[in-house]
Amino acid sequence: MNAIYLFLVVLIPCIGGALTPLIPWKKRGHMLVYLESLVAVNSVLVWILLFHRPPEMFTLVNFTGNLAIAFQMDGLGMIFAGLVSFLWPLATLYAFEYMTKEKHEKTFFMFYTITYGVTLGIALADNFLTMYCFYELLTLVTMPLVMHTLTREAILASRKYLYYSIGGAAFAFIGMIFVITYGETSNFMLGGALDASRLAEGRNLFLLIYVFSFFGFGVKAAVCPFNAWLPEAGVAPTPVTALLHAVAVVKSGAFAIMRLTFYCFGADFLRGTWAQYLVMAVTMVTIVYGCGMALRETHLKRRLAFSTISNLSYILFGVTIMTPFGLTAALCHMVFHAFMKICSFFCAGAIMHQTNRHYIHQLDGMARKMPKVFAMFAVSAFALMGVPGLCGFISKWNLAEAAIASGNRLAYFGIGALLISALLTAMYMLSIVIRAYFPKADFDYGTIADVKDPSWMMLAPLAIFVIGMIGFGVCSVPFTELFAAVAQGSF
Amino acid sequence: MEIIRNFPCLSILLAMFSAIISSALKGKGARRLNTFVVSAVGALSACTLYLTYTTGESYVYVMGHFPAPFGNEIRFGSLEAGMALFFCVIMLFSLNGGRDKIRLEIDPGKENLYYIMVDLLLSSLLVLVYTNDLFTAYVFVEINTIAACGLIMIMESGRAIEAATRYMIMSLLGSGLFLIGLCMLYDMTGHLLMSYIQASVRDIAAEGLYVIPLLVTIALIVVGLAIKSALFPFHAWLPDAYGYSTVSSAAMLSSLVSKGYIFLLIKIIYRVIGFDIFVQSRIINVLFVFGLAGMIMGSTSAIRENDIRRMISYSSVAQIGYIYMGFGLGSSVGMVASVFHILSHAATKSLLFVSGVGLTDVADDNKQFIELTGAAYRNVCAGLAFTVGSLSMVGIPLFSGFISKLLFSQAAVQSQMKMLPALIVLAISTILNTIYFMKTVIRIYTPIRSKYASVSIKENPLYAFTLLCFIVLNIVLGMCSQPITDWITQGLSVFA
Amino acid sequence: MEHMLLLSVFFPILAGIVLLLKKEYQTRDRLLVFVGAALVITGALACYAIFAVKDGVTLFYLTKTLPIYFKLDLMGRYFSLIVTIVWILAGFFSFTYMKHERNEKRYFGFYLIVFGVLLGLDFAGNLITMYLFYELMTLLSMPLVLHTQTRESIMAGLRYLFFSFAGAYMALAGVYFICRFGTTIEFTAGGVIEAAVLQENRTLFLIVTMLMLIGFGVKAGMFPLHAWLPTAHPVAPGPASAVLSGIIVKAGVLALVRVVYQLIGVEFLRGSWVQTVWMTLTLVTIFMGSLLAFREPVLKKRLAYSTVSQLSYILFGLSVMQPEAMTGALLHVSAHAFIKVALFLCAAAMIYQTGCTRVEELKGIGKGMPVMLWCYTIVSLGLIGIPPTSGFISKWSLAVGSLASNIPVFSWLGPVVLLVSALLTAGYLLPLTMQGFFPGEEYDASRFAGKEPSYGMLIPLLAFAALTVLIGLVPNGLTNQLFTFAAQVMQSI
Repeated sequence: MNAIYLFLVVLIPCIGGALTPLIPWKKRGHMLVYLESLVAVNSVLVWILLFHRPPEMFTLVNFTGNLAIAFQMDGLGMIFAGLVSFLWPLATLYAFEYMTKEKHEKTFFMFYTITYGVTLGIALADNFLTMYCFYELLTLVTMPLVMHTLTREAILASRKYLYYSIGGAAFAFIGMIFVITYGETSNFMLGGALDASRLAEGRNLFLLIYVFSFFGFGVKAAVCPFNAWLPEAGVAPTPVTALLHAVAVVKSGAFAIMRLTFYCFGADFLRGTWAQYLVMAVTMVTIVYGCGMALRETHLKRRLAFSTISNLSYILFGVTIMTPFGLTAALCHMVFHAFMKICSFFCAGAIMHQTNRHYIHQLDGMARKMPKVFAMFAVSAFALMGVPGLCGFISKWNLAEAAIASGNRLAYFGIGALLISALLTAMYMLSIVIRAYFPKADFDYGTIADVKDPSWMMLAPLAIFVIGMIGFGVCSVPFTELFAAVAQGSF
Repeated sequence: MEIIRNFPCLSILLAMFSAIISSALKGKGARRLNTFVVSAVGALSACTLYLTYTTGESYVYVMGHFPAPFGNEIRFGSLEAGMALFFCVIMLFSLNGGRDKIRLEIDPGKENLYYIMVDLLLSSLLVLVYTNDLFTAYVFVEINTIAACGLIMIMESGRAIEAATRYMIMSLLGSGLFLIGLCMLYDMTGHLLMSYIQASVRDIAAEGLYVIPLLVTIALIVVGLAIKSALFPFHAWLPDAYGYSTVSSAAMLSSLVSKGYIFLLIKIIYRVIGFDIFVQSRIINVLFVFGLAGMIMGSTSAIRENDIRRMISYSSVAQIGYIYMGFGLGSSVGMVASVFHILSHAATKSLLFVSGVGLTDVADDNKQFIELTGAAYRNVCAGLAFTVGSLSMVGIPLFSGFISKLLFSQAAVQSQMKMLPALIVLAISTILNTIYFMKTVIRIYTPIRSKYASVSIKENPLYAFTLLCFIVLNIVLGMCSQPITDWITQGLSVFA
Repeated sequence: MEHMLLLSVFFPILAGIVLLLKKEYQTRDRLLVFVGAALVITGALACYAIFAVKDGVTLFYLTKTLPIYFKLDLMGRYFSLIVTIVWILAGFFSFTYMKHERNEKRYFGFYLIVFGVLLGLDFAGNLITMYLFYELMTLLSMPLVLHTQTRESIMAGLRYLFFSFAGAYMALAGVYFICRFGTTIEFTAGGVIEAAVLQENRTLFLIVTMLMLIGFGVKAGMFPLHAWLPTAHPVAPGPASAVLSGIIVKAGVLALVRVVYQLIGVEFLRGSWVQTVWMTLTLVTIFMGSLLAFREPVLKKRLAYSTVSQLSYILFGLSVMQPEAMTGALLHVSAHAFIKVALFLCAAAMIYQTGCTRVEELKGIGKGMPVMLWCYTIVSLGLIGIPPTSGFISKWSLAVGSLASNIPVFSWLGPVVLLVSALLTAGYLLPLTMQGFFPGEEYDASRFAGKEPSYGMLIPLLAFAALTVLIGLVPNGLTNQLFTFAAQVMQSI
């Protein structure tokens, strides 16, 4: 394929999305068909690109000197682009049904679709500058989605989101400057792009800069102590919370950290340094902290958001092991967690949409009235806990194996964190499931008599996610091999 | 091509004479003359820029019949010419954007006075940019101050007069210090033309004479100009002066007047004292520290501010801090970054002032944030422009602010000692900028059922067009920065 | 041939799922016919698999190094046989008992599924398969615990779940390390990790083993994570408590046998601090469980505490790491399974017939339900360890093995604690017999008249009593087999 397609897949959703509110739609249905076909066509294009990778890169503009906005597709980018483009059409379908009860649909879908393009821009970025640009844009285009409901709460949440994200990017910016200044090349290169002799000179300085940029990007990946924005951003409509705050946005943060660690600074340089221990310790704290907070939370979506915080740090933990195996495990969890969390969020959204109930204690006995949704929710809960046979087990297994194989003693404690978190996950997820399936014996089903499962537009994406979770769990070998190949740079 | 060499002198004279002619004209005539003059000067400067940039040399134009080292000279390279062009462009946009407000806020009988001041301001700016004579520079610094005072107090409100008085006092203090520095320099070297002073200063420094007087001189000149350009902690006059004057004045004061002084300072650093000697003096460390402090303190004050105009004004303090921080890095890359930021900040800040007035207009001139809720829906183009300006200030890629941030950081990385403080303060300052600018953006985009009427683009096409020009300028600076930095680098090298 | 393994695991699971998804049956009989048929078929399949299948079978690969693999060794055959016998008998008991509970369909559905899962656990040929079914067992047996859906039972169910998962995840840490450092993850006599590797990371592996001991020990009610057991077991419906207390806890035992003897290797652990700590914990549990049972007035809770104590007999036998003691421990697995199920079923029958739950309310019950009380008495004697019952044989071996082990202090402390605990056992079980048969002259036991349970309940009870005595009378075949196994895994042949 011609390299220009790399840019086109970024551009199409942006332009198509921006046109949405400008076209005078006669019927809502027309707009939905337009959006779904736009997104689907773009996804198909991305998948064609995945299988026919353009060998060269595409340069859009030159900023100053060797700084350019350029796109290319390497293994890591492929995985993220593939993941995003697989989920987006499904999430859009879901959003159609969900948004029937919300206002300002056109604006919503405009930004929702633009975000698709911007996320692909991050995935396909060829150099740090391009990634940084799209990273900032991502913040800006998702902010209107967070404040969509325009309640006071939503506005405060979006403000917080903005401050945190741009603040994080400001620190990541420092890392970018270093990579640009001391890089042998401005492109991403597995194994590190920095000049080795310079690294040896100012070792501690570089490590400090790495830590800065780790936390800078870590803000989006909701690493402790910069995670306060994520649960609050849960005020956004569920398609946003599910797709953006469980996958696209937060995983962009994790993705950027992977780029930073493995493709800019180089894992070999960082391994065994105080910087590695520091960031690893922080991810471990976040893993446990997120779960603990989730357990305390009684609002369904916020609980899931805290769970996301914890799970994102699983990914980061994999990254901070700083071995190819660690990266494999991190990629594995990045993809698998996307399926698990989007499924559970969509279930939560379906519940809210059908019943307008937001708190966990209101869910007594619901499973009998919404059997399909709750069955899928239960599967996602089991997967998140890491029950063998579902995908969560595989990624956790890989993480633990990578931690052991690294021989890093701190990573051994990381396994402890993973397991504590698994237990807490079991607690906060299963308490919902049990409440829904086994209400108290004197529960009166009359109070929820008119509750029922949502339409196929919501159920179909859910079913696909469930199939994905089971599929990944049962035959994970090809996927893990793919991730390993990417992590070793042979793909 | 020969004729182009006369253009700088011609443009200065044009501006001065137009001021004189304006005193005999009515308001409308003065306005037209002013527009013509600014455009003409811009065109002349563009020609000069073309000449100097293509040849890559600098030219000297002797005023009167006394040859150097006694006479008066104009000297111009590509940097000067480009700067003059840029000042004209910004001035034109600022005046167009605030045209309605000028008509509303100024006594019709005094409208021509306003344009006299503007013409004078232009001429003094041009002199500051072009002159090769230190004393001429001083004279026009004073003219500049007087013109600026006039621009502030033309509103005739109590607050404006108070602000103007304060500005006057601080400014005169600054020029006083500058004058003392000048005298000492004349004492030591016996010259007033910059090139000759530089040669003498180099000799003096090489022989190790007058070490302390030289240091004091540098300090006096730098502090004098720093007061005038509102470097933290000498910025107390600024918020009132910008906040209570008419919008065109505010835009021009922040993006032209203070920048003119800064440009003069750059000129003195390169052409009078010599860059190496300046770097060796420890003054740059002081500038660096004050610059950093300004970046933080300006923004913190802006966050606390509840009035949109004053918030934008305080943001200027922070941005001036960036520029001085660039000086403080003591490298030519840092200088390039500072010069670029002069352009970028001038373009962005005047955009913010002009679009800010559009927003306050649809809130019956209320400048409190609470009244601005949803203003972007009532005045769409002002809202959009304000957003662009804010994003640029925050340093979002594709806008000019990002490039200056990039250049500053790249310059910072070159310096061992100053790297970390500079980078960290840059990051913190970005966060602070985000807090107050994006808070405002979110507020103006929060819909509310409002008692105020909306304004459509058709009601004021000139205003909308001006904003569009500003936005394009901003994006051009952000997207095609490479030629601009090339030009700055070349200009600075011709300078020395 | 070896696919029989898969079939006997998945047939009951599928049957259970079908049952859960089906609409309510019109009559109760149809439901019972379905469940009964499923139980019998599964039983037949399982028996065939247990006695005839020799090879292993791989179902699929979780990751490249993690096959889901089934293979039966002696331990697997032994445990699965116990499971099959108990599950079928208790299942038939439930036919009568469940009449007075709601949601029968759900109960039997999960009952069948757990049957399959337990068979899978016992058939597992490697660590990861065992872990998979271990987790599934926890999850799927939870509905049995909170079946009545009272506030108390739901809380107990959650407690059960969270304790079990805490244990499972502690064990999972060990699983990670064993899979990483082991040469294989199939169960191998003497361990799968090379001695050099073990010595190199000695502290690490000792900690890991300790984690696994405590982790899997949760299921077996070992101190300090035993608190769930006395809450969770009694709240379930009678037959469910019986299988929970008799069978599901044994999954912990099986897992520990696998880990200690077939994965880590007993050579490495013998004499280490891990062994000492483990022995201490088991002895503490034995004593504490008996004491708590002695003080407990509610019959089912008393039995649950008794389970805590008895399970640690088994664990003590394992912790001694001596063939004789291990034989005793393994023997006690079956002895305790049959006895405890029988005891719980007796309690269930009493509740079903009379509604009484506290021991003192049951005074004089022997007048009305003599057969049942006789069964109760026989198995109680078994639990105390009076010849000629299975309990006697197992405890005897335990004591002998412990004394022969030459571990300082513990070699004699163990038998002493066993003896004291046996006395306490007698103290908490026999009063019911005595007061049941001899309530005193003036006591009016007429309210129990004619309350003897139906054959549907009595036959399973009688069967268990008979098994208890039978093993006690002719233990040799079983003992020899188990001893061979024990000697083999300790590589002392």
